[in-house]
Amino acid sequence: MLKLSGVTRRYGDAVALDGLDFIVPDDTYVSLLGASGSGKTTLLRLIAGFEEPDAGELMLGGERLDGKPPHRRDIGFVFQNFALFPHLSVEENVAFGLRHRESKAVPAGSDLNDRVNAALDLVGLTGFGHRGVGEISGGQKQRVALARTLVTEPRIVLLDEPLGALDANLRARMCDELRAIRERLKVSFLHVTGSETEALTMGDTVAVLANGRIAQAQDSTSLFTQPANTAAARHLNAWNLIGGRVKGRTLDTAVGALPISQSLPDGSEAQLAVRFDQIGVCEPDQVPAGQDHFTARYLAGEFNGPTELSFFRADNGDLIQVVNHLSNPRLPDLTEGRTYALHFSPDAALLFEGAA
Amino acid sequence: MSTMTTDMPAEKGQSPAIKREARDRRRALMLLSPGVLWMVLFMILPMIMVVYVSFWTQTTFAVEPTLTTASWERFLSSSTYLSAIGTTLRVWAIVLVATLVVGYPVALFIGLFVKNRTIQTALLVACVIPFWTSFLIRVIAWRPMLGTEGAINVILQKLGIINEPLTFLLFSEFSVLVGMTQIYCVFMVGPITFMIARIDESMIEAARDLGASFGTIFRRIILPLSMPGVIVGAIFVSVMVLGEFATAASLSGRKTNMLGNIIVSQVGSLKWAFAAVAGVVLTLIIAAVITLALRIVDLRKEM
Repeated sequence: MLKLSGVTRRYGDAVALDGLDFIVPDDTYVSLLGASGSGKTTLLRLIAGFEEPDAGELMLGGERLDGKPPHRRDIGFVFQNFALFPHLSVEENVAFGLRHRESKAVPAGSDLNDRVNAALDLVGLTGFGHRGVGEISGGQKQRVALARTLVTEPRIVLLDEPLGALDANLRARMCDELRAIRERLKVSFLHVTGSETEALTMGDTVAVLANGRIAQAQDSTSLFTQPANTAAARHLNAWNLIGGRVKGRTLDTAVGALPISQSLPDGSEAQLAVRFDQIGVCEPDQVPAGQDHFTARYLAGEFNGPTELSFFRADNGDLIQVVNHLSNPRLPDLTEGRTYALHFSPDAALLFEGAA
Repeated sequence: MSTMTTDMPAEKGQSPAIKREARDRRRALMLLSPGVLWMVLFMILPMIMVVYVSFWTQTTFAVEPTLTTASWERFLSSSTYLSAIGTTLRVWAIVLVATLVVGYPVALFIGLFVKNRTIQTALLVACVIPFWTSFLIRVIAWRPMLGTEGAINVILQKLGIINEPLTFLLFSEFSVLVGMTQIYCVFMVGPITFMIARIDESMIEAARDLGASFGTIFRRIILPLSMPGVIVGAIFVSVMVLGEFATAASLSGRKTNMLGNIIVSQVGSLKWAFAAVAGVVLTLIIAAVITLALRIVDLRKEM
C-alpha cells in the first residue's frame, strides 16, 4: 500500500500539490484524473523520487520513501515519451534494469534472457528483441517501455499518460492489455491521465486531482453518478453546474429559482449539478409534470457518432450541455436560436455547498 | 472521347511534378557550387600541385620540374625526419588524451548539470577565452608560470618539495603539451557538450528508476550517447595538433620538431620539393587518423 500524507510541493510561488492525502491500495488499478497543470506529473515524480516534497510523507508498505534516491525506491515509472535508450536494442532496453541495477543485479546469462523474453511475451513483443528501438512503431515502443519497467518487478508501477502518444485504435487496445497485464502481475498501477473516459475505463479506483489535492477517489460508477464535490463533477465533463444563493427550499440562480431537496442556511452559496444525459428538452409551455426546469437558447449540436451533444446558452451566458443517445433519442428536433425548456427530475440533481 | 481519363497525353511535355523536381535539384546544386568551386581552386588543385612538386628535382636554391624520387628517398632515409613523424604522433596522442581527460568532465558538467541554456552557452563561450588573447601574449604568459623563476618552481621550492628549479617545465616538449592542451581543449569540450545536452533528461531518469546508480548510468547511457561528440572533438583536435608548428616552436624553444616545423624550415630555406614531401606525408597521416576515428563510431548513424 502506498500512502501519501500531507504532501506539498511548491515551485516558487505556485503550489502544485497542497497537503495532498492519497492511498493506492495493493493489487489495484488506480487512475488519476487531472487537468493539465494540475500537478499529476509532479505527484508521480515525487513518488518515483525524481523530486522531493516540501512537506508531508510518502510511505510504501510501512517504509518511508521520501529522502531515498530513485534507484533505491523499487518503483516502476513508464514515461509519457517512453524514454527508451536509443543506442540499445529492444532486449537490451528491457534487460537494462535487471543487469545494471545497484542491488540484486542479474548477470548476463540464460536467467536474464529468460526473464527478458518472458517480459516481451507479456507485452506481446515475442521475437522483437533484436530490433533497434528506432525500427519499431509507437505502440511497440510503448510496450517496450512497459516491459522494461515490469521486468524489474517494481512494488508499484506509475504510468504517466501512457496512452497519450498513441492513436485512438491503439489506445483502446492498450487499455485492455494494460488491465490484463496488471491483473496477471498483481501489482498496483497508478495511471495518470487527462482524459475522463480513459480514467473511468481503466481504474478500479478513479481519483480526481484538483487544486493540489485529491477531490475524490472512488470506483468509476460511484464517481460518475455521485461526484462528491464540484471539482470532481467538473473533471468528469458530464455535469452541468448551475450556481446560486439559497432562499428557503429553492436555489436562486441566474436561470431562475430551482427547488432543492436539502435545507441549507438562507443566503449561502450552492451549486446544482445535473448530468448531461439527464436533461430533457421541450417547448417552454410543455414541461412534464413533476420535472424541474429552466429555459435556455439552443446554440448548436455536435454529432459524435453514437451520441450527440447539444449546446444551450442560459440567460446569464452559462453554457449548458445535453447529451442524446442516437439509439434512444430523447430530444425533439431543435432549431438554432430558439429558446427551449430544459427539464430534469428533482432526484437527478445533486447539490453542492459553496461557491463555484 | 467523352469519358474522363487520367492518362494525360504524353506530347503535352513534362509533368509539373517532374519540372518542380528538376528545379529543386538545380537549386540544391547552386547552393553547393560556391563551396565546390572554392575547394577545387584553393584545396584540390594546390594539393595536386604539392604532390607533383614533391617529385621535382631540388637544387640548392631552386626546384626544377624534372621528375625524381630523390626528395622522397632522402626524407624516408633520414632519421631526423622520421623522428619528426614520431614526435608528431607522440604529441598528437598525448594532447588528444589530455584534451579528452580535461575536456570531458567540463562537457559533462556544462551539458548535464547546467540546466539553463543561456548559462550553458555562456560557459561554452568562456572556454574560448584563451583565443581572445594573441598567440604571442599567451606564450609569453606561460613564462611567469612555468619558467625557472616562475610561480610553479617558486612554490615547489618554498614548500621544500624540490631544491633545484625544474627545467623541463618551459622550453621542452612538456610545455608544448601543456600549451596545446590548453588551446585545443575547447574543440573537445564543444562537440561533447552538444551531444550530452541532447540526451533527454527522462532517459537518465528512466535509468535511475530502473535501479542504476549514477556511475552505471554514466557508463551505460551517457558515455555511449556522447561518443559521436568525442569523435568529432577528436577529429578537430587531431587535425589542428597534427598540423601544428607555432606552439611547438615557441614553447619548446625549437627543441620539439613536428612535421609542421619541418615544413616551415624547409620552405624558409626554399627547399620546396622537400617541404612538399613533408606536406604529403602530413596529409596522409591526417587522412589516416580521420579514417580511423570514423571507423570507431558511425557518425551518420549516431547523429
